Amino acid sequence: MNSSKWIWRVTAWISAIATVVLVVGFINAFQDVNGSYTEPSAAEDQITGSTEEENPDMNNPDEANESEDNNDISKEPSTVLPPLPDDIKITAIGDSLAKGTGDNTGEGYVRRSIQQLNENGRKSELLNNLAINGLTTEGLLTRLEDQGIRYALEKADLILLSIGGNDLFQGSGLVENGQAGAGEFSPEQLVQEIPRASERLKEILQNIRQLNPTARVIYIGLYHPFADFQELLIPGNIAVSTWNHAAQQIINEDPNMVLVPTFDLFQGKLGQYLSSDHFHPNGDGYQLIAERIAKGIL
Amino acid sequence: MNNILPLIQNECIKVIKKKRFYVILLVILLLVPMFTYAQVKSAERNQGKFNDDWRLELQQRITDNQNSLGSDRIPEEWKQYRLIFIQQMQYYLDQDVNPNQPTGVNFTREFMNNAVSLFIPLLIMAIASDLVSGERTNGTIKMLLTRPVKRWKVLFSKLVTLVMFVSLIILATYAIAYGISGLAFGYKGFQLPVFTGFRINGSDVDVSSVHAVPQWQYLMMQAGLVWFVSLSVAMLAFMVSVLVRSTAASIVVMMAALISGTILTNMASAWTSAKYLFMVNLNLTSYLEGSLPPIEGMTLNFSLAVLGIWALAAVIISFTVFTRRDILN
Repeated sequence: MNSSKWIWRVTAWISAIATVVLVVGFINAFQDVNGSYTEPSAAEDQITGSTEEENPDMNNPDEANESEDNNDISKEPSTVLPPLPDDIKITAIGDSLAKGTGDNTGEGYVRRSIQQLNENGRKSELLNNLAINGLTTEGLLTRLEDQGIRYALEKADLILLSIGGNDLFQGSGLVENGQAGAGEFSPEQLVQEIPRASERLKEILQNIRQLNPTARVIYIGLYHPFADFQELLIPGNIAVSTWNHAAQQIINEDPNMVLVPTFDLFQGKLGQYLSSDHFHPNGDGYQLIAERIAKGIL
Repeated sequence: MNNILPLIQNECIKVIKKKRFYVILLVILLLVPMFTYAQVKSAERNQGKFNDDWRLELQQRITDNQNSLGSDRIPEEWKQYRLIFIQQMQYYLDQDVNPNQPTGVNFTREFMNNAVSLFIPLLIMAIASDLVSGERTNGTIKMLLTRPVKRWKVLFSKLVTLVMFVSLIILATYAIAYGISGLAFGYKGFQLPVFTGFRINGSDVDVSSVHAVPQWQYLMMQAGLVWFVSLSVAMLAFMVSVLVRSTAASIVVMMAALISGTILTNMASAWTSAKYLFMVNLNLTSYLEGSLPPIEGMTLNFSLAVLGIWALAAVIISFTVFTRRDILN
């Protein structure tokens, strides 16, 4: 009987207290979700405080700094690339090419080039592959404002960038109509698109450089995926090489940026190096790009 | 009123002495280490990737989700869910707060979020389903009802006991989850901020009313919602226990209802009137988290109302049936 009494007392008290706590929690939750929650919490101050301390430059990018940096760069052009550390930290950003679309192994040139690098005894690693399928220069510019993307770019020693293919080919409706023979394709329109897109590329590269003043930036040049269509061969060649030339000119301004050309790799061997969607490279195509990237670093 | 307290006391001692509560504790004690171990393993596997930097990892998760948005193979509802996820994670990144910091408190929070719709209700059922039908199965109900006590008082004492044990089960689950996961992840993390107040408009997340609460407070709010869910499940199980003669049958009925709830939440987004079923509304904690409700138009207040009405109806039915029914065999 005595034990029963104790059992009763203990359970009654504990459950009474627990119930009160739970009811308070419930009321709290109800008010919180319904928006009448006003009590200022210590945690809130804590966060805002810490973000301000830790990344002051992330929150307010200096417009003035940007132009200064560029002036510095153009004043003293250097022909030798600054050396990279042995354990290169790599961030990839850009469109489906950086993502590796079309590669059956899913590796793309990013992982393949890292493999190439590490075969030679380095310990390079991929921090982030931030590529998004179908990204255009416009989309990338807005993405560069994201806190997490800025952070990943800041941490990198090497930034692999591929962008522009979607501006050129998607904008002109080639990807959709390409296989069918490209109904209303006009080369003029394609070339017209280039100055605006390359202006955005310039802005992208400047933003990246501003985020990370020391990283090497490798830009992957464009190839002509529709060169095997008779009527597209010449105008497409003109458009792609105009773009690549524009990109090269932007990249020339910065001593720690490199353009890796791909035009020559694919031009004669589209059937061999393109995947079945007739736009993205296949595994072998990516391997070629990766080898070029790696050779430039080793 | 005076003679009710001894009745409650009696019921309470019965539950304890019948070892139902110990079984529940044992179940929690056995299962929580499993989940903890699984968490430790997945934390180990992620180690070394992304330079051990949660920001990079989180950004990769955002990017991967963004990529999947472009695919036509993903159903629209999933896309919406992912869009919301992306926006919330983006918010955490912008505020430089790690949403998945491995601590005991964080584990407890995540565990309870997942446990609220099935695991906790099952534990509650272990007590509730047996409360009345158990007396019938072994015939002791006659002894109970031949005493000079009104029938409704007998039932009421059982109901109060049930409410007490609902609180005890929730308390025990929290305590055990925290105690065991703390061994693996450390006992800190009560002050870490958690964001709540994400409002969802279609596929857009309104962050204007988002505010940070320290994790202990979040846990308390979460526990309160878990309590409400458990209470309504308890009332329903109680009703079934009154209506059905054997404990086994009453457990099966409630189990089927609960499990159909988890299946429905995964499938029912097209059948909108399913939102009036109680088992679709069990995931109250998701409103605190700010994730997409299983069926459009569901809000916290809506779910509370649905659960409340079901629970109230269950109590009314239990009392009317119990006070009128003949006790045979």
